[in-house]
Amino acid sequence: MSRETNNQDKVVAMQREQGPILEVKDLKVDFTTDEKHVVHAVRDASFSVYPGQWVAIVGESGSGKSTSAMAVLGLLPGTGKVTGGSIKLEGEEISRYSRKQYEEILGEKMGLVPQDPMSNLNPVWRIGTQVEEALKANHMDVSHEKRSKLAKALAGDDAVSIKSEDDETFIGSKELPELFKAAQKALTDSGVTSEALERHMDYFKKDWVAGSATRWLVADDLIKAGVDDDEAWSIAKRYVLGSTMNDRIAGLLDEAGLPDAATRARQFPHEFSGGMLQRALIAIGLACRPDLLIADEPTSALDVTVQKRILDHLHNLTDELGTAVLFITHDLGLAAERAQHIVVMYKGQVVESGPSLEVLQHPQHPYTKRLVAAAPSLASQRIVSAKEHGQDASSYMEHAVKSESTLKQGEHIITVSHLTKEFKLPRKRQMFKAVDDVSFSIKRGTTLAIVGESGSGKSTVANMVLKLLEPTSGTVTYEGKDIKDFKGRSLLDFRRHVQPVFQNPYGSLDPMFSIYRSIEEPLRIHKIGDKKSRQQRVSELLDLVKLPQSVMQRYPNELSGGQRQRIAIARAMALNPDVIVCDEAVSALDVLVQDQVLQLLNDLQAERGLSYLFITHDLAVVRQIADEVVVMQKGKLVEHATTDEVFDHPQKQYTRDLLDAIPGGDLRLGLD
Amino acid sequence: MTAFTSADSKTAYETLPGQERFVAPVEQTPLQDVDSIDESAPATSMWADAWRTLRKNPLFVISGLLILFIIFVALFPQVFTHQDPNYCTLENSLGPSAKGHPFGFDTQGCDVFTRTVYGTRTSLSVGILTTILVMIIGTIIGALAGFFGGWIDAILSRGTDIFMAIPLLLGAIVVLQMFRTSSSIWKIVLVLALFGWTQTARIARSAVLETKNLEFNTAATSLGSTPIRNLMMHIMPNSLASIIVVTTTSLATYIVSEATLSFLGIGLPSTTVSWGGDISNAQTMLRTNPSVLFYPSVALAITSLAFIMMGDAVKDALDPKSRTS
Amino acid sequence: MSKYLLRRILQMIPVVLGTTLLVYALVFALPGDPVKAMFGDKPINDAVAAQIRSEYNLDKPFIVQYLLFLKNALTLNFGNTFAGQPVIAEIARAFPVTIKLAVMAFCFEAIFGVIFGIISGLKKGTWYDSVILIVSLLLISVPTFVTGFVMQYFLGVKWRILPVTAGSNPGFLDLLMPAMVLGSVSMAYIIRLSRSEVSSNIAEDYVRTARAKGMSNRSVIVRHVLRNSLIPVVTYLGQDLGALMGGAMISETIFNIHGIGFLTYQSILKGESNLVVSIVTLLTLIFVVCNLLVDMIYMLLDPRIRYA
Repeated sequence: MSRETNNQDKVVAMQREQGPILEVKDLKVDFTTDEKHVVHAVRDASFSVYPGQWVAIVGESGSGKSTSAMAVLGLLPGTGKVTGGSIKLEGEEISRYSRKQYEEILGEKMGLVPQDPMSNLNPVWRIGTQVEEALKANHMDVSHEKRSKLAKALAGDDAVSIKSEDDETFIGSKELPELFKAAQKALTDSGVTSEALERHMDYFKKDWVAGSATRWLVADDLIKAGVDDDEAWSIAKRYVLGSTMNDRIAGLLDEAGLPDAATRARQFPHEFSGGMLQRALIAIGLACRPDLLIADEPTSALDVTVQKRILDHLHNLTDELGTAVLFITHDLGLAAERAQHIVVMYKGQVVESGPSLEVLQHPQHPYTKRLVAAAPSLASQRIVSAKEHGQDASSYMEHAVKSESTLKQGEHIITVSHLTKEFKLPRKRQMFKAVDDVSFSIKRGTTLAIVGESGSGKSTVANMVLKLLEPTSGTVTYEGKDIKDFKGRSLLDFRRHVQPVFQNPYGSLDPMFSIYRSIEEPLRIHKIGDKKSRQQRVSELLDLVKLPQSVMQRYPNELSGGQRQRIAIARAMALNPDVIVCDEAVSALDVLVQDQVLQLLNDLQAERGLSYLFITHDLAVVRQIADEVVVMQKGKLVEHATTDEVFDHPQKQYTRDLLDAIPGGDLRLGLD
Repeated sequence: MTAFTSADSKTAYETLPGQERFVAPVEQTPLQDVDSIDESAPATSMWADAWRTLRKNPLFVISGLLILFIIFVALFPQVFTHQDPNYCTLENSLGPSAKGHPFGFDTQGCDVFTRTVYGTRTSLSVGILTTILVMIIGTIIGALAGFFGGWIDAILSRGTDIFMAIPLLLGAIVVLQMFRTSSSIWKIVLVLALFGWTQTARIARSAVLETKNLEFNTAATSLGSTPIRNLMMHIMPNSLASIIVVTTTSLATYIVSEATLSFLGIGLPSTTVSWGGDISNAQTMLRTNPSVLFYPSVALAITSLAFIMMGDAVKDALDPKSRTS
Repeated sequence: MSKYLLRRILQMIPVVLGTTLLVYALVFALPGDPVKAMFGDKPINDAVAAQIRSEYNLDKPFIVQYLLFLKNALTLNFGNTFAGQPVIAEIARAFPVTIKLAVMAFCFEAIFGVIFGIISGLKKGTWYDSVILIVSLLLISVPTFVTGFVMQYFLGVKWRILPVTAGSNPGFLDLLMPAMVLGSVSMAYIIRLSRSEVSSNIAEDYVRTARAKGMSNRSVIVRHVLRNSLIPVVTYLGQDLGALMGGAMISETIFNIHGIGFLTYQSILKGESNLVVSIVTLLTLIFVVCNLLVDMIYMLLDPRIRYA
């Protein structure tokens, strides 16, 4: 540990000496709307990034965090303009640069890993071609070719004396087999025995990737394995002669953690999953070895375990290359976990900044305090701390006690047994099992959460519980009756008692319906009350979800995501249901809004004794809302236990992986 | 600060210049309620919104005024001319413009101005009637195909393909050549609709398919709504915008098609006053007396331009892409 | 990849059968009497009428008529005209001219449409964007035959730059004006299409990513904006190639070009139903084949389809 601290001190000393790589001072960015209004998107923002450092900008949507990053890159969209302040890259003022000047520094000095992997790669070009563009744009291809030629010329020379640490000649795939042969021979000659030999060779095979491993690395590996210096360098010089463009592309993709990179490079974006696309974008961002990488919510569209893997990889890679990272995120936990320095933005301004742990543990600005309190990824700690501190815990405890008692009563309002759903895949013979033999039951007045990543079948289960999909086999019972038998009147009755709240707040309300009509719709369908009493009911429901009465005449496009989700809850509550199925109901919302909606759901449950089936990919949210948890993976039930049990004593590896992947999960919060 | 334990390696981090702890004064960015509603803005439905966009669009204002004027001319041609469009005397043949006859006379000695004014009604009737018919046929077929899917969709879509493979004009020519002597406005309308509904059907089908899969339909189903109720209450109103856009633009196409058919001599009979027919009659006069050709052509062009501009304006206002939430 | 093509070809078969049946039915099974239509205003000679009826199998049940027509059509035997000429020979004589005209129109609309559209899309909001937009709006709304007369009057009669009419054996210059008239409306549509494609693609995320790589503005535009805008434009062009042949009727009539359109027009005037049906069937086939061609090009241009 002392050595580590020592190292850290050295790094800090170096950073202090070199000065910041990026220095933004009093940055102002304005947008002009169609009506010629000027919107100040960023106001007097200042922050800096030192070489090799991770700095995170945290904020909700509209806080100006992405805009600040794009201003640094000179890639502001539309009418966006830097109207004041300075942006210095390595001491050079770049905010007044022309497009041509920016072309010079983009890629080479600054790289970008953008937010949405699906839309950031051009669908018509191969992945490899899009990596190649980055190399070509910065003349990396030319210099590589030159270097290869030089290396070949030098290899002819027998004198083995040049040992330069920055010798960036890469292995070519053509020479790779011969290199392995030579390495094996050299190791044998140096007297390395069979088992150690195998171990070394396995390591070489993993470490020496064409287009990525350098001559220096090969020599270093050989020397470490026991080959003497001269021999090692002679082999490295003889066989590491520079790679072709294709090798280099594959090497870059491999570095970004893409398996089978050479084949993958020849594929098109639509053949990749989201996580793989993100890796390709990381490869592109880092292709020309920029000094500063700007990562704009690089993993927000991905599953948590994938997010963790990719960020871990990015972290290792940037550490290895000494790249500084400006990391844009809405997730405070993620920011605190990854960055040394945090900048919190709110309404276009920096409200707080400082060393990440300090900001997290001693938030000073009320906005930061609010963020820390609401962050779901930190909430697990919060509950524990709250209990320990013996304050503010009563509400949580009460709920816990209540669920304990209902548990003993054991009345199940919904029971799912051996539920299976198969889908036919287009152009494939065998059926795809989206849900495979899943059983659980929801106790009255409690919340059961189904947690899983995309493709786990959790939403399919929700749709079967809602009788929107027919199961292939297995049953769902509501109050002891099989919902399969519900038809006509009884189905209408079932619908009245089991209501959904869907994921997409923009899609679940009809844009042509006013809010009043949306909330009134279930009353109309079930022919409840007359015009007057329905109006009365709608206004009660708006009170219930804490929205003003004036919202009635408005239309969904005028409301924010969180407001729409509250409308959706009001609509679901209109018929006084017993069960509400929340399918990723808070996933698309900003943390503060998410927290607000979760509180609302909690209150409603406490007041009305509702039962929730809560579908989510986010384990962090589960802790705040659920009594029991079902973990699903690839259609199968992995683990089913109470929330505390799942969090404290996870039984299965997959559950542990999910828990580990919660960003900031292992951070300590000193709430004082 | 003492709260940090030395075990946490990150806390050993030393602050660098420019990265010292900073907290903005609270007054500077007053904290707002989470997710508050701006109650000052007026409430707008999608249609009200579209109307507001339209009103501000000069394209819409110009074309709207033009169309109103054209409709007025079509309804009350007597206001503009007191003559009978079919009153022609050969002694006036190709006479120049005179008092009360601003555009002069054509070969048969008919007053060009009067015929141009009266031709408006023909063109407009054909355009509007065909559009209405096409909208009805196309919407029904497209909506059924999109809503039911499966074999109903397969049959209806192939049927649409078959009609689509015959170009509008060619198809109309084939049918109309049989009625060369007994053509009428209604026959033209029917024939144009027969070959014109396919585009509307395609648009309606994809609009219905798209809205069918939106979550508010699933939400309505789980509220207890039936599929047919969903179609009428949610799917059709949401598909209407794209159907309106495609039909407004095609109105101009039908006006031009009628004129073209009349121009080819297989449209309306010569007894019906129409721009296409007059242009056809005047085409031999191109070298000697181009003005006879000029006036009906300009009237036709302005009418079709007005509707195309209207279509563009409506498209800008109703296009879901331009509507940001 | 070949599976996709095969599927498209298989889908084409019912469309071709359905379309020919439709055309045939419209001519021979509608309430109007085709034989009567052949005589036009002349009095009907019963003996000749009967002979015509048997020659065209009009005395047989409708579906048999259609199958016989189909069988003959497969061997390119479309029967004879009134004058006793084989229909196929008439068509063969007129076809080359129309192809020449259509290809010229196609080149005209493709080149100018794409160039003006791209300029307009890249320079959205500037004065030349406005000019291009207004001109294209005018070209779309003014009927082809009016455009034809206007050009004929100015280029031919008044300024004498180009020949007024083409005649029976036209050369390149004779066909230049008719080709421009024929392609003008499509050119306007291509301008609008490429303009909207370019201006929407330029705002795509992957374009920003490309800029972030440090690529020059020129290569970003060419490789990421124009390449992607090409897909719908080429699709439109391909479908239009088939439509141009059918649309040639107006230009050929105005400019007196003895091509397929002219032949159709003449046979309509003379009441030669058989010739009309044959030509329309042929043009429909060409249209369908062009659509298949479009699918193939689409497959080459869009990898998402290629590997679907």
